[in-house]
Amino acid sequence: MIAFIIRRLLTLIPLLLGITMLVFLLMSLAPGDFLTPVKAQRDVPAELIQAIETEFGLDQPWYVQYYKWLGNVLQGNLGHSWAYKLPVSDLIGQRIWATFLLSVCAFVFSWAIAIPLGVLAAVYKDSIFDRISAAMAYAALSIPEFFLALLLVFFAAQTGWFPLGGATSIDYDYLSFGGKFIDRAHHLILPTLALGIGSVASIMRIMRANFLDTIRAGFVTTARAKGLRERIVMFKHVLRNAINPLVSAFGFAFSGLLSGALMVEIVLQYPGLGQLMYQSILREDQFVVLASVMLGCSMLVVGNLLADILLAWSDPRIRLEGKK
Amino acid sequence: MPCYRHHNIRSCPLVVILALVVFGLLGCESEPRPVRPEAVVQAVPVDALVVDAFTDGEFGAHIIETVAGDVATVNPLVNESVGGSVVIGRILDSLISLDPKSGEVIPNLAKSWEISEDRMQYTFYIREGVYWSDGHPFTAEDVVFTWQTFFAKKRDPDTGELLLGDDGRPLYRYNSRSTFGQQINGQEPQVEMIDDYTVRFTTPEVYAPFLLFGGGEEILPKHILYESYQDGTLLDQWSVETAINEPWKIVGLNMFVLESYRPGERMVFARNPNYWKVNSQGQRLPYVDRIISKIVQDANSSNVAFAQGQTDFESIGPDNVAWVRRGEERFDYTVLDMGPSNTTNFIWFNLNPGTNSEGQPYIAPYKFEWFSDKRFRQAISYGINREGIIRGVFFNRADILNGYVSPKRKFWYNDDIRKYPYQVQKSRELFREMGFEYRDEQLFDGGGRRVEFSLITNSNNGLRVEMATVFKENMAALGIEVELQFLDFNTIVTKISDAFEYEACMLGLGGGAPDPYAGKDILMSGGRMHFWYPQQQAPATEWEARIDELMREVGRHTDVDTRKKYFNEVQAILAEQQPFIFLVSAKDYAGYRNRWRNVEPTPLGGLTWNTESLWAEVSE
Repeated sequence: MIAFIIRRLLTLIPLLLGITMLVFLLMSLAPGDFLTPVKAQRDVPAELIQAIETEFGLDQPWYVQYYKWLGNVLQGNLGHSWAYKLPVSDLIGQRIWATFLLSVCAFVFSWAIAIPLGVLAAVYKDSIFDRISAAMAYAALSIPEFFLALLLVFFAAQTGWFPLGGATSIDYDYLSFGGKFIDRAHHLILPTLALGIGSVASIMRIMRANFLDTIRAGFVTTARAKGLRERIVMFKHVLRNAINPLVSAFGFAFSGLLSGALMVEIVLQYPGLGQLMYQSILREDQFVVLASVMLGCSMLVVGNLLADILLAWSDPRIRLEGKK
Repeated sequence: MPCYRHHNIRSCPLVVILALVVFGLLGCESEPRPVRPEAVVQAVPVDALVVDAFTDGEFGAHIIETVAGDVATVNPLVNESVGGSVVIGRILDSLISLDPKSGEVIPNLAKSWEISEDRMQYTFYIREGVYWSDGHPFTAEDVVFTWQTFFAKKRDPDTGELLLGDDGRPLYRYNSRSTFGQQINGQEPQVEMIDDYTVRFTTPEVYAPFLLFGGGEEILPKHILYESYQDGTLLDQWSVETAINEPWKIVGLNMFVLESYRPGERMVFARNPNYWKVNSQGQRLPYVDRIISKIVQDANSSNVAFAQGQTDFESIGPDNVAWVRRGEERFDYTVLDMGPSNTTNFIWFNLNPGTNSEGQPYIAPYKFEWFSDKRFRQAISYGINREGIIRGVFFNRADILNGYVSPKRKFWYNDDIRKYPYQVQKSRELFREMGFEYRDEQLFDGGGRRVEFSLITNSNNGLRVEMATVFKENMAALGIEVELQFLDFNTIVTKISDAFEYEACMLGLGGGAPDPYAGKDILMSGGRMHFWYPQQQAPATEWEARIDELMREVGRHTDVDTRKKYFNEVQAILAEQQPFIFLVSAKDYAGYRNRWRNVEPTPLGGLTWNTESLWAEVSE
């Protein structure tokens, strides 16, 4: 098991190398660089631009820049953001909490709703409930996240029931502990909905399909034949077996925790990592972009790993081993 | 029961996650934060500026506003964005300022100044008894320190020797806009402290804009920043990290201090308890307790917030003003027409005669011949229906732009220049004069080549895209085929400043300092932003040489009328030669909630130039 984990984590190294190199190459191919918008300002002296170009190493070819950056990363230094003049790690640290919180909320929201709904849809297969839930699930799946977010912005603007953007109210700092909690929760509702509804639909459909598969399994017939009550058969035996495949979905969901909220954050003006990434890409603030890409990539690998481990843990038939 | 194992697996993560959510909701607050030190409130300065032009008001109101886009830094030496300048401008202050009505230089932290006989020495007398927002006394030492940071040289850490760049000039320790922007023809002005309240600058040659440019420099607190200046981390100071965790370290002389900052969400400014302006009763200004700046994505969302009565002051674009006006009664605000904006829109042709790395000329030689003939550019200018653009694109919310100076800058504006009203007949005459001819309403040059060119402009500016479309139509009426290319802004900047591979371009220029000499990089042939042919070794044409000469005179003379005379000639040459074909200048609009008192908008200063005197009744 440990060998397996180590092997998986080792594959991360060539992956990160390849991806960061690709990002460097692409950013050098993109028109302009970080200083281009500065060049368009009328009162910036040419000498300053030259001095900064040399300072940032922008006058060198991309592979030289990459080599230098790599050297710094190997020493644990992700570089300085050019726009913010801050270590990239600090910058990400400022924002990561907000995004993490939003993702976890969306995660809890979607799973807590989707699993019971999926089970009910399977148990009452072909009932009116099943039909309605299926129709709603298809609708939810077909609406892109960003569009849903736009609809929610419109809704909030029309009704005034929810704040438009932000994570806290103006008077947040003067609220009591409970008031702070409620204020934050209030600001989280819309982003959570926008981020969560799509996965409610997909998880629910997976759950329903798994459940139906399991109902047809031999042990269910046995259990019924033994005279167990239907409720116990369904919720004790079928449910526990049906949920296994979702455990791996859990791992994948983990990989999107920090990078999945980008669109929603931008549309709903939620001050998280997604906004920072988006701005840095627009600005070509190279090292911030690289750090975000590496973060997303690592989360994906770790998420996959987590899915495998959880699966092995919950299903005794699966054994993880390092390559002999 | 064997199922216990299963049970644990499923419920464990859930419990952990729920705990995380609850913790996370307040998590950001759980870290121990450094405590804000109590600000020392000093006595009102002896030399306090008494603002008696406005009625006395009530203290304690809050201004709520939205700003488009987050700030990246609060350090004026690093900042490159307009949004950042606004934030920094609320906290830091300078020796002189500009009168928002007349545009003249007026006293600020300097109560007066003297200029020597030879016009090269500027002595500023600083107000006595002024304190920084943290209660530390402000003296001439701070001014000297500020200028030291601009011109500090890089030295070898071991030997202490000056380090030189490839061109043999010393390298600067802290490269900032001021490091190079404050040099006068490559030489640094000298600064010395005469006593605690007197500071003297010596310019290397007579340089008229120094009073404005040098005196307008924002002053940094030596007692806060000296340490980082010594250890080399000056540019890393006052980052957003400081703004989040220790905003009180950002110490200033202006009316506000930063109280808190949440990245991507909002900034809160509190009044500076040691501000040096008082009302007629000797009470310290400003009246407002706080400014709460909510950060929104773009100017449109900002306009929306104002139109719903959520914010107090707002500048409104010409394309949004119609629907914003609709809420005036319901939300009790007023929208004002602030007159022409600073932004100028223009077209120019690439006049760069050079060749690319493969030896190909940037512009095909026969086209270069058209573009470099002033009659061609004049003909194009006569052929543009500027009224049509104003009606069709701006719905009458713009003015015709005849020359380089926007009519908003009344002081420097020269109306006595050649103008190009919409006259298709005149265009055709000029083309015929050049030997061009019309066949089936299509224009051909003397060599029988069809007259056509491509025009690039940036795709993210909707109004400009529409203007380009009108331009294409206008040119079609002249028998010219224009191919429009809408590109990403960075691509455009690369094309016009590095690659030079384009034929014509449409862009706009905004802002700019109120002194004409600030445009030297645009107007002088060696300038980095001499759009049609930047960074020339020697002036390519006689008229460019003449402009260079005139601009040098504008810089050299301190007498306003002499400067005006020279600059008027610059404007006249530009109008005659049409290197820039100016189009229109959009109007500015601004709105404010009616509860605010002492609002006195001026075209130059906008709505909030007198923030210290603005007040509103405090509602409970």
